[in-house]
Amino acid sequence: MNRKDTVKLISADEMEFVIDKDAAMVSQTIRNMLTSPGGFAETELGEVTFPEISAVILEKICQYFYWALQYSRGKETEFHIEPELTLELMMAANYLHT
Amino acid sequence: MGDVGFFEKTDSRENEGNLEESEGKNKERNEEEEEEEAVVFYRQQQHQHATFLGLDLNLQPPEEIDFGNEFWGFDFGFPEKQTENFTESQSVVLGVDLERKERSPSVEIVSPSSIKTKRSPNVVFDIGFPEKETENFTNSGSVVFGVDLKGKERYPDVEIVSSIKKRKFSVQEKGKAKLDGFGIELDEKEILHDLMQIDPEKWVSILDSPVEEEKPNYIEFQGLTRDNTVNHERADLLEDFQEFLKKEKSKRQHEIAKDFAQRLAREVDSEGDLLKSSSTKDGASKSVIVDDDDKEELGTPFSIAMEVIKTRISSSTSRRKKFSSEGLGAEFKWVPKNVKRTSFMAREVPSLLDLSLCALAKNAEAIVSLNHVPDMLRHKLSRSVSNSRKMDAHFLQLLASGSPTEIRVNDCSRVTEDEFTKIFGCCDTRNLIVLQLDLCGSCIPDYVLQDTLAHSSKSLPALVTLSLNGAYRLTDQGLNALALSAPALQSINLSQCSLLTSSGINDLANCFESTLRELYLDECHNIEAMVVLPALKKLKCLEVLSMAGIQTVCDDFVIKMVEACGKNMKELIFASCVELTDVSLKFVGKNCSKLCAIDLSYLRKLTDLSMRYLANGCRSINRLKLCRNGFSDEAIAAFLEASGSSLTELSLNNIALVGLNTAISLSKCSRKLFCLDLSWCRNLTDEALGLVVDSCSSLKLLKLFGCTQITDVFLKGHSNPQVQIIGLKMATLSEFLNVLEPREAPLWYSPVDSLH
Repeated sequence: MNRKDTVKLISADEMEFVIDKDAAMVSQTIRNMLTSPGGFAETELGEVTFPEISAVILEKICQYFYWALQYSRGKETEFHIEPELTLELMMAANYLHT
Repeated sequence: MGDVGFFEKTDSRENEGNLEESEGKNKERNEEEEEEEAVVFYRQQQHQHATFLGLDLNLQPPEEIDFGNEFWGFDFGFPEKQTENFTESQSVVLGVDLERKERSPSVEIVSPSSIKTKRSPNVVFDIGFPEKETENFTNSGSVVFGVDLKGKERYPDVEIVSSIKKRKFSVQEKGKAKLDGFGIELDEKEILHDLMQIDPEKWVSILDSPVEEEKPNYIEFQGLTRDNTVNHERADLLEDFQEFLKKEKSKRQHEIAKDFAQRLAREVDSEGDLLKSSSTKDGASKSVIVDDDDKEELGTPFSIAMEVIKTRISSSTSRRKKFSSEGLGAEFKWVPKNVKRTSFMAREVPSLLDLSLCALAKNAEAIVSLNHVPDMLRHKLSRSVSNSRKMDAHFLQLLASGSPTEIRVNDCSRVTEDEFTKIFGCCDTRNLIVLQLDLCGSCIPDYVLQDTLAHSSKSLPALVTLSLNGAYRLTDQGLNALALSAPALQSINLSQCSLLTSSGINDLANCFESTLRELYLDECHNIEAMVVLPALKKLKCLEVLSMAGIQTVCDDFVIKMVEACGKNMKELIFASCVELTDVSLKFVGKNCSKLCAIDLSYLRKLTDLSMRYLANGCRSINRLKLCRNGFSDEAIAAFLEASGSSLTELSLNNIALVGLNTAISLSKCSRKLFCLDLSWCRNLTDEALGLVVDSCSSLKLLKLFGCTQITDVFLKGHSNPQVQIIGLKMATLSEFLNVLEPREAPLWYSPVDSLH
């Protein structure tokens, strides 16, 4: 993957997820972080840290990003969420504005 | 003539609508026999499209062409001629100069090729009706033009096609158009009468005739056979025509004025009655003064808007007389978008938040704890769970555990008394700001309240908002106890608490005289409006008053209430208070200039005057709810234009007269409209709705229950990607219940600590 088109999302337990920029932009929060003017570290390095989101949840979130891209291109499938993750996922989704 | 073969061919193909061969033949023959004209008639299936002489004949749904006008306007560029006999048909075919031996019942062929001066003397023209004959064409090419005169009757096997794009009108044609049309109109009635007798099955559509730059020679008018007489006649007819226009216009305006006069006259009567009744009832001083300002003043926003609308109506009718294809539709032309681009209409991707909320609500019984979940998410979750009827003691316990700040439960009906006592007996309510326990009747009798929420005067110190909607076992004592425990209360919802009486409310109002902002007393039938009036008048900060369903609410009550508290009043709900008349609205308009929301559902006695008062007095209404009122299209349109620009939610449910005027005003003025209810408004057409939906850019929810006149032309043809339309097709409504966000703040219109 080309460096320019990807971003790195870092979870609370320091797991790093490298995904496409398009996918990350599904989240309004991440989009704002990466595109706001002002020379933030996030913009420069292309890395965003989430000290409150665990790796499992962050992984699921990345899966959601790709699913959302697929859905908007017409392929409408179901996004399954494991029950034990739902509560934290909901709160993370709220934070990420997605 | 070689026509026989020609006709046979087309006959056999009449059901296919395939004209290629006939065209070819036509062309050939044209070259060969230049004296012939032919206009092709064909009967087409609806889905066909054919090219005729290289022109693309698009089939348009009948609604889009106002045939009556188009016909008279001669927009088709036909060589204009009429035959006397054309009166017998509903469609008239233009222009053939063929001697036809064979009478095809449904197809005529006429070539639109140039009409030569040299005509065959015998013009036999046949529209396929055995009884037809043409007699008048002795010195001119026959003209047969066919139009489906009354486009309203839609014959499924007939399509009218016009290739409007490529016509060029000669000046004379245009001039002739008017005149001819006018002439036709004069005799319209007799023509139509004859036309009606035609058997619709045999119908024909004609339409395109190519541009004829040629001569006026072939133009005949109503049996005139001499060209030189035509001009003379035309001038006279033109004058008559203009006079006719003027007469129509004045007639129309006269009718409008008459209508208004009648309504105003009636209004005065009813006010007079009110005077009598209120004075006899109370015995006390009369409360209503009938002013003289019932006639419409100039310069008020409503009257200005009314003028705009009236001119719109009258100009459209006069324009219609000019045979243009536009009528009131001249103000707009809504064309549904091309259906092929359906990707545009793909629904938004469901957000992860919604997905996880749904998943959680489904598995609500498995949730262990809601700690750290912010209030807004709790409310959303609670709402989902209530909607799916899964709200029970377990979930209530989850909400009540810890030291909650807000608890909102839409449906406590499955919770029992004991469970409630257990849960709230040990609930830490010190920080509770919002408590909403709707439909809690079965679990909250007085003694439970006293054991739990109201156990001491310090039990609810921070409570600002309380809702006990549906607490049918709550009595005045229980209410009193609650009032003592919640000194900071600013909003209380006691809807459907049927045991409460006027004295309970009086005590409540005395308790919270200077602090209560919101009071909901819907359907508390034991409360008498005039008895609680003195206490309610003391609530100076009152912003929301809801007395829906209480029959004792009368004009007197409303007038006195708004005179006392109207300055701060933001929301009034008087649904089903059927005794109310325009007088109360008049005082609402006078006193409640900051009004943001008003509900006038089911108030049958209101007339357009109420709309006027509202429009002039309350300029910043956000939410307007009308249902089964008797307002007219024009009045609502005028309201929208005058004061409707800040509307976010509008309901015009079952306002039968709503029509094009309202649609146009909506499209002009309602940029912020978020939720629109046009159920049962049967006068709205696909085009009107399409215009509304495409213009209201913020529209998310459109309700169209009972609008059976709406078809796929609108449903698939509108261009607003985010609007959800409910009511036309079977769909579960629960998915739409989440479109409107739940309340976030404890109070609707003020921040919590704004009192100090």
